[in-house]
Amino acid sequence: MTENTVSHSRGGRINLTKAVLLILPLIILGGVIWLFLTTGGGLKLTAPVPVEALTIERTFMRPGQIELTVRNASPEALSISQVIINDAVWLFTISPGPSIPRLGTGVVRLDYAWSQGEAYAIRLFTSNAIPFDIAIPVAFETPAPDQQSFLAFTLIGLYVGVIPVYLGLFWFPVLRQLGRRAMVFLLAATAGLLVFLGLDTLAEAIEQASSVAGSFQGIGLIGIGAVGTFLLLDAITKRQVAIGRNEASQRLNLAYMIAVGIGLHNLGEGLAIGAAFNAGEIALGSFLVVGFIIQNITEGLGIIAPVLRDRPGIKNLALLGFVGGAPAILGAWIGGFSPSPTLTVLFLAIGTGAVYEVVYEIVKLIQKDTARQAMPMTVFSGILTGMLVLWVTGLMIK
Amino acid sequence: MKGQISRRDFLKAGGLTLLGTAGAMTINQVGQPTRVASAMQHTHGYGDAMAMAVGEVNHEKNGFNPSDMLTDFDYGTVSTLPDGRTLREFEIFVLNKEIEVMPGINFPAWTYSGRLPGPTIRVTEGDLVRVRLHNASSHPHSMHFHGIHTAAMDGVPGTPGVIEPGESFAYEFDAEPYGLHLYHCHVFPLARHIAKGLYGAFIIEPKGGRPPVNRELVMVMSGFDVDFDDVNDFYAVNGIPFHYQMHPIQIKVGETVRVYLVNILEYDLINSFHLHANFFNYYPTGTSLTPSEFTDTIMQTQAQRGILEFSYKYPGLYMFHAHNAEFAELGWTGNFEVVP
Repeated sequence: MTENTVSHSRGGRINLTKAVLLILPLIILGGVIWLFLTTGGGLKLTAPVPVEALTIERTFMRPGQIELTVRNASPEALSISQVIINDAVWLFTISPGPSIPRLGTGVVRLDYAWSQGEAYAIRLFTSNAIPFDIAIPVAFETPAPDQQSFLAFTLIGLYVGVIPVYLGLFWFPVLRQLGRRAMVFLLAATAGLLVFLGLDTLAEAIEQASSVAGSFQGIGLIGIGAVGTFLLLDAITKRQVAIGRNEASQRLNLAYMIAVGIGLHNLGEGLAIGAAFNAGEIALGSFLVVGFIIQNITEGLGIIAPVLRDRPGIKNLALLGFVGGAPAILGAWIGGFSPSPTLTVLFLAIGTGAVYEVVYEIVKLIQKDTARQAMPMTVFSGILTGMLVLWVTGLMIK
Repeated sequence: MKGQISRRDFLKAGGLTLLGTAGAMTINQVGQPTRVASAMQHTHGYGDAMAMAVGEVNHEKNGFNPSDMLTDFDYGTVSTLPDGRTLREFEIFVLNKEIEVMPGINFPAWTYSGRLPGPTIRVTEGDLVRVRLHNASSHPHSMHFHGIHTAAMDGVPGTPGVIEPGESFAYEFDAEPYGLHLYHCHVFPLARHIAKGLYGAFIIEPKGGRPPVNRELVMVMSGFDVDFDDVNDFYAVNGIPFHYQMHPIQIKVGETVRVYLVNILEYDLINSFHLHANFFNYYPTGTSLTPSEFTDTIMQTQAQRGILEFSYKYPGLYMFHAHNAEFAELGWTGNFEVVP
């Protein structure tokens, strides 16, 4: 063992003494833990009733049957003893078995003649008489992953993501005519737009985090996803700058970055809509879809803002729109067919990180543009306009 | 979960031919929910579905079985006083006890003599009743009888009848008036003390008794708030929800049945009793020998009680349950199996 450690690297040589000194605290730590666990360390830490936590990962409804996927988030295994639905004790089966190991899942199945459109309250009692409640606000047959629902989710993604982003791109020819000040205003508005979207995504992530099993630390996951994405995108950009691309291609690059950020945001949006559609919580009325189209058209505008003075070509424009909008379809599929709160939180966190990295890039671009001629009010009003546009259009759909 | 464990244990026990335990455990296996449901309706599909628990509680471990409780009347130790009167003496213990109220769900109950409801005390009008209560639990408790007695024997705070843990007290009074009554703990917080299981039926026979019937049954209606949020989670008659749905009460066509029905349900305002495909004579509080009503549904608030008398004309399986449908589906439902 020691031979191996000694032989490596010249810079920081590790000899036996160093290795022992490195490991010693860990050995002592192990000893302290062992001592504490065996003696209790003078504390009486046995709870009179075990702490139990159960999270509902998925509700699946088909005619005459309700299926619940639950995850045991408590420190120990727990058992589901009885199930009550709408104040009636009901027969159920649970697979793989009534005892769910820590962090394991169980699928509870009820044969129950539920009615479309009605509300149901399900209560699971564990063997320690601890109740866990699941609300089904509107009963709705869960779409099975067949061709028809696949198409339905694709259409949702298309309406919510792809169409509005492409509509926004159609402004490209007219926006090219704008002067420098207007361009800065537009860039600032894009930044404002993204700040708003980022907040929206973050809030959604935090909301979703509450339905993630405690051990998976939803909030921590948001931090990892957001910070990681931000730093990764930043590193990629810096590397490209270092390679020494020209400014036009750097701006096109920024447009792609914005498209990726918006795309990730739309992925999260698709996830949320797909999951809500799945849970029957959403009556995806035409009104709502119209609202999304209006709000998301501004996203297309944001994508093209950095390349207005260049000639990106129709191919690039088409690709930009696709990157920005299409993830909504993917999100709707995932959210609709296999909603996982943990995955949703992670996606939303990635979206948050991406959106804010793009804001940071735009800010750098604006700084470059305003280096010669300061336009503080233009930047201020641009950012505020971007945020207000989303807030006002949000009034229509929320 | 307990139900599942006992099932597994049963299989194991069978394999090891531990006949004694196996015999006891086969009792637990009788009456699979699906069997009762299919016996009731000869169709399959949605119409067959009904509210029902998964598994069965371990009656052996609980120490009582609602099927036996129906006809378990405690007449006490009888002796004759010098003046010729009858003295009936009872010994009752207050015990903390984990009771499996629903399969797999234990309830930390407070019980009179380890059962829930407590023993059905049965005396005759004019008897001298002496009930010695031993408090073997961890809280002060009492026994408050509904009836006519002195203030000192009322079992409420401020009287000697409230007993500290480890102590005992004898409640003594003349049995009056005749009728169907009840007893319960009257230590505060009252709702909790009652809901935890400290209640039972108390019958005072009229001198000379009631007209003879073929079968006498006692039913005490109550509920269980297993998660202590002051809302009942399950409802039952004689302690175990759904028991008589899984194990119908056997009676014969034409037999006269007398049911002593007591309501001690806490947290909900009223309880009720509905008999299927039949009508009964109802004697509120049992204080008269003339029925007040001929009906198929009666309502009782907490501590209200009454006597029902009926007989079945046709054989078959007939439900009886609270007509608060919610209570019925949460456990307070059962069947009479009328045999020719």
